[in-house]
Formats: sequence, structure tokens, C-alpha cells
Amino acid sequence: MSQTDTAETTANRTDSQGISTTAGETVEETRPEWTSYEAGGETKLAVDDLDVHYGDDHALKGVSMDIPEQSVTALIGPSGCGKSTFLRCLNRMNDRIRAANVDGTVELDDEDIYQDGVDLVELRKRVGMVFQSPNPFPKSIRENVSYGPRKHGDIETGLLAKLTGRAEPDREEALVERSLERAALWGEVNDRLDDNALGLSGGQQQRLCIARCLAVDPEVILMDEPASALDPIATSKIEDLIEDLAQDYTVVVVTHSMQQAARVSDQTAVFLTGGELVEYDDTEKIFENPESQRVEDYISGKFG
Amino acid sequence: MSRATQSVLVRDDRTLYEAVAGTAVGLSGVAFAVGLAALLGVVTIDDPVAGFELSVAFGAVLLALGASVVGFGVASRFGYVDAAPQPSAGIVAAAAFTGIWFAVGAIVSGAVGFGTGGRLGVGVILGGIAFAATAFPREDIGSTVPAGAVAGLCGLFLVTGVVGPGWKQVLVGYNAALFGDTVVPLIVLFASLVAGWSAAKAYGGFGARGRNVGAYVLIYLVVCSILVVLIGLVGFVTVNGLPGLFNGFGVGGAALISWPFLTNGAGLLADIAGVFPALVGTVWLVIGAVLFAVPTGVGAAVFLSEYAEQGRFTGAVEVATNGLWSTPSIVFGLFGAAFLIPRFGNQKSLIAGMLTLGFMLLPLVLITSREAILAVPDEYRDASAALGVSKWQTIRSVVLPAAIPGVTTGVILGVGRIAGETAPILLTMGGGVLPAKSAAPNVLSGFQLSASPPFVSNPALLEATSALPYQLYALITAGLSGNIQNPQEYAWGLALTLLLVVLVFYAVGIATRYYFRRKLHQ
Repeated sequence: MSQTDTAETTANRTDSQGISTTAGETVEETRPEWTSYEAGGETKLAVDDLDVHYGDDHALKGVSMDIPEQSVTALIGPSGCGKSTFLRCLNRMNDRIRAANVDGTVELDDEDIYQDGVDLVELRKRVGMVFQSPNPFPKSIRENVSYGPRKHGDIETGLLAKLTGRAEPDREEALVERSLERAALWGEVNDRLDDNALGLSGGQQQRLCIARCLAVDPEVILMDEPASALDPIATSKIEDLIEDLAQDYTVVVVTHSMQQAARVSDQTAVFLTGGELVEYDDTEKIFENPESQRVEDYISGKFG
Repeated sequence: MSRATQSVLVRDDRTLYEAVAGTAVGLSGVAFAVGLAALLGVVTIDDPVAGFELSVAFGAVLLALGASVVGFGVASRFGYVDAAPQPSAGIVAAAAFTGIWFAVGAIVSGAVGFGTGGRLGVGVILGGIAFAATAFPREDIGSTVPAGAVAGLCGLFLVTGVVGPGWKQVLVGYNAALFGDTVVPLIVLFASLVAGWSAAKAYGGFGARGRNVGAYVLIYLVVCSILVVLIGLVGFVTVNGLPGLFNGFGVGGAALISWPFLTNGAGLLADIAGVFPALVGTVWLVIGAVLFAVPTGVGAAVFLSEYAEQGRFTGAVEVATNGLWSTPSIVFGLFGAAFLIPRFGNQKSLIAGMLTLGFMLLPLVLITSREAILAVPDEYRDASAALGVSKWQTIRSVVLPAAIPGVTTGVILGVGRIAGETAPILLTMGGGVLPAKSAAPNVLSGFQLSASPPFVSNPALLEATSALPYQLYALITAGLSGNIQNPQEYAWGLALTLLLVVLVFYAVGIATRYYFRRKLHQ
């Protein structure tokens, strides 16, 4: 598949081999105690004993965690620790990698998304995703935002709809405005909605991608290092946006930056090399008083 | 300017040496240009220049160039000028001069009367000397003396009239002869190229900068000559074709514009013979081939790059496609004649030609479409999938629009090839050599509906039809002229029309590509 996927797979391979002899035992003992954290609020996503193999590589080992509704959950850890893999399991984007093999259950509102007969289109409408590098389509800003609803048939546009009088330009306009407004981009682009989205700056493109995701009206938004390709000002805008979005949506965000996790998230999960979830707790607890020595080392910069 | 040891970044004090070397480069360029003009027949080599024949003037210029080039090298070697030569002119230059001097030795000794063994011997000896003279001395000698000697020797032949106007060499064993008005320009082109390169190196002061300038002059002269050949080719056809194309052309009158060459047939009733039937035939032929090949090719490309598992099967298809694209067109023509014609009324027909050319176009459309689709970033597919959009919707709304410019490029290239194909339509489409206007295919109004199978029929598609390249071929080989007053003019006009038709198809393709690129990026 894509290059990034291959790179991810390779990274996992090195790490899982490197750690298997040193840290395996400790983790076996400690996992139940430190990861069985119960966050407040309703559980939106319940992950139970999730294993991911890429071919022979064990990328994710028995991860279990409950992600609460309307909050920000940060996933942190060194490169290749499996946090992106974990994230991509939550809307089954890993299905797009042929070598990937997923075991375990992920429940969205008490319904297993890995059981037979799950409609991937419906799942991904409910669990949206924003990628590491901004990837707007080479279309106009308006078309980018309304792309999802148009393809799902929720909004009728296009020539045939116009000819038969079923076009809904007002609804499209309202949806585009609402989504861009929600993504804090409306003020910057409202006078040039028909311009190509590739003409926007990196930060604006990323907020456009968030708007595009919001237009489908998801319940959960997954973000894979959404600010790693952006400058500090654009990053801070995205971070503000994430905190804001958590009032209405369940946000799961992967990040390399511990400061970012500390700033925006309500609870934090720390993945360490080998694809294990080492500790999952309130963000404050993780950064001030982690239970695990390895997490403390990682947080204070001694490891990772 | 506080520091005394500052190195020189800007040199605007032109030395006498540089001025002379620059003049020598310019002179080589002029000699090259005039030589090209003489080769194309714009000037002739016995035209008088300042009281001498052009070929003698060429010789004098080459002698002067040769002498000055050697002079540059010697001046540099003995330190009279500021240059930065490297220890040797290098193996490439040495090999080139070995080859050049081997050829010079073999040709000259042959002209003097040596046998094969003697010619080889002289060639090897001269080649060896040239190799030693290029490879072993310092660069300033190595890249000037052998070059200057070549130019000087060529100049000597021309000045003394050993080779000149009226010179003729019968090639022993062949039914052919070389003439002075071809050979003299060739000698001039070759010698001025060598001398220009060497003078340019001297102008740059040898070393890295000199090699840079030398390569620049060499490449520039060669590119210019290629451009001249291209322009000459198109210009030749245009100049010859214009009288035929505009025969009887008039503005005003009842029809506003009357252009008999494009609107008349070549029948007995036409007062001015035209190419209308063949023109319409070619246009329909290309449209039919594109309509067949583009949907099929793009569809296959979508399957191969989006749906099929990349592996042995797709690899085999790729090899087969590349093979098909390089298959000679006459083979496609044979296939059309043996397979398509029996299935479409058992006679040569427009639709058989369309399909045959469509088969020819198909592999290129498939190859370029596949590459264009693979070049669409995976991020678009991921983004679309993450929005819950199905695969086919993604391909239709994101992948294909992003691939259209690449697909269009393929179609443009392919149309250029098939529009001028003669061999396949010779076998599949036929048509008269001098069709009357009524023979033009009337495809649009030819469709007929019927209550019994095949329900839709179109006699225009099933008739033998003429096309421009076929008519040109038939005119020239059959030598028919019918009632055409000036067959030669008619044939040139036909050739120019074909050129223009291909250019129009190009223009349409390029405009399409431009439109979709703009849509993607603005």
C-alpha cells in the first residue's frame, strides 16, 4: 500500500524485536493494574485485548482501554510503538493494509466493529479521521467540505440534480459554513470558497481537513499527529480547536509531543516500544505521578 | 576593499586573448549556420563571397579557425595567458579525436589511392598520434592541437579546391555518387563544430570553466541544427503545400468563405479538385478510434491499478501491453483485414479501420492511464475512505479527475501516431484514390433504426472510405491524376492538410489537458 504504511511496518518490526527479551516479563505482571483505569463519563469506545500483526510482526500486544465520551484522549509514545496502529484500528483503516491482521474487539457504543457484517461506510461516517499531513482533495474548498455528504447522497448537487430540480444549494451552503465555522476556518476563507484548497497554507489545509471530517457529522474524531507538519502558530490553533471539539465529540489524538498531550487531553495512554499499552490514566496523573518507572523515564526524557 | 587577498568574483576586464577566442567561437557559429543553410539549399557553394566562391571562403575561415585554435593552446601552454588547464584533456576527448583522425586518415589515403590495408594502416597511425597528442599533453595542448589540425586540414581541402563545387566521387560498388554541394557543407559543419568546441574551451580558460563553456557551445550548436531541421521540414511541406491548399480560395460571395480544396471532392465534376472525403474520413477515423480506445483503456487501467492484486498477472499484462504498443502497424492492419473485415460485411469499411486503429491506440492509453492513476497520492484515497466513501466513488470523484491530465497526454501522443498511419487503413479501410464529394462518409445522419436485429445500422460505417494518408500514398505510388490539373500541387496540399489535421487534434488535446490541470491546481 502506501509508503507511510510500509515505513510504519518496518519501524514496528525493529522495535518489537529489540524489546522482546528485555521488557516482556515486567509488562505481563504490571499491565492489569496500571491500565485498568476507569475514566469518568460514558464509555464511547471499549477496546478489549486488541492484537495486531503485520505479517509476522506483532505490532500491538493485548491492548485494552475504555475511551470516554466527549473528552480528549491522547496516545503518546516513541516512534513505532503502535499508537498509530491502535488509532487506525478504531475505524478499521487497517483493513486497507493487506498484511494487517487484527484480533480482539473494539466496541463502539457496545457494538463490536470487528464482527461480521459491519458496514465500513457507516462505521467511518461515525468515526472520522484526520491525518498527519494535511490531505485536502485537489478541488475547491466548498467541494472539499461537502465531499462526504455529497458522496453519501445526503446532499444533492451536480448537474442531474440541478436539471431535475432536486439540487439543494442552500443546504450545501449551510453545511459548508457550519463545518468551516466549527473548524475555526470560516473567517479566513469565506470569500474564496471556490478557490482550490491546495492554495491554502498548511495549517489552514489541516483545519479544512477537520472541517471535511466534521461535515459528515461523526461521533468520534481520530487524529493522527494532526499538528506535526505545522508551525507553532498553526499548531496552537489546532490545539485550541481540539479542546473545543471535545465538548461535542469524542476525540482521540496521537501525538509525539508530550507538551501537546499535557495541554489538550483529559486522559493519556502511554504506549512504549513493542506495542504495549504501559499506562493509561488522567493526564495530570500521568505527567505528575506515573505509576510505572518506564513511563516516568519516558516522560522525563530518559528513554524514548 | 580592505582585504588585499580577496579573490576575484567579478571579472569585467576582458583581455585581448578572450576577445580573440570569443571571436573565434562566434566565427565557428557563423560558419556552422551558413554550412547548414548550404546543406538545405538556401545558399549554394559556388555563390561568390568577396570575389571567391563560397566553398573557398569556407576553407579560408576554417584555416583561420584551425590556426587560431592551435595558437590559443600554445599561448596558454607557454604561460602567455591566464588559464587553468587540467593535466590532461581526458579520455572522452582522446577517444573522440582518435576516432576522428582514424576516419580522416582512412578517407584521405583512400582518395590518394591506397588499398584497404594501406588505408587501415594510415588510419591507425593517425588515430594513434591523435590519441597521444590528446591524452598525454596538458589540457590546453591536448584539446586544441588535434582540433585545430582537423579544422585546418578541412580548410586546406576547400581552399585548394580538392573538394569544391563540381566535385563528384562515384562510390565504387554502389549505383550512387557523392557531390560537392552536399559534401562541402558537411565538411564545414563538422569542422566548425570541432573548432567551435575547442575555441570555446580556450575562451573559458580550460579547466572546469573551459569544459563548461565548451560543452555549452557544442550542445547549443547541435540543438540549433536539430531545430533548423525540424523547422525546415515543416516549412518545406508548408511552402510546397500552400498553393494546393489555397487553390481557388476566396473570401466573400455567397458562401462567405469558399475553400474548394477542403470542401470539394476529386471527382470529374469538381472544377477544383479537393480532399473533402479523405479529410472527413480521417476525422471520423480518429474520433472512432479514440471513442473505442479511451473508455476501454482507462477502464483496464483502473482495474489493473486499483482492483487487481499487484503480482504476476498484472506484470504479465504490463509486458503484453508494452509489446502491443511496439508491434508494427502493418501487423494490426493484417489482424483487421483477417479478423474484422469478415465480421463487418466482408469488405473494407470505416468501422474496421476505426477498430484497427483503436486497437493500436489502446496499449498507449492503457500504459499512460495506469501511470497517471498510480501517480495519484494514496493520501487522497485514505482521506476519502476515512470519510466513509466507497472505493468506486473514490475512484470516480478523486482518483480519475486527478489522473485526467496524464491520460490526456497519452491520448495526444497516440492520436499523433494513428492519424498518420497508412498501413492498417490500406488493409482495412481502402476507399477510392480520387473520391468524389459524394463518397465522403456521412456518419451522423447515417444511423438507421430497424425493427429486426441488429436494430441499429449505419451504412456509412460499413463502406470503404478514404483517409488522407492513404490517399497520399495511393496518389504517389499509383501515379493517378484523374482530372486534376496539377497532381503535384494537389499531393503537397494533401500532405499539408494531414499535418494540419494532426496539429488540430494536438491542440484540442493540449487545451483539454490545460483545462483539467487548471481545475486541479487553481
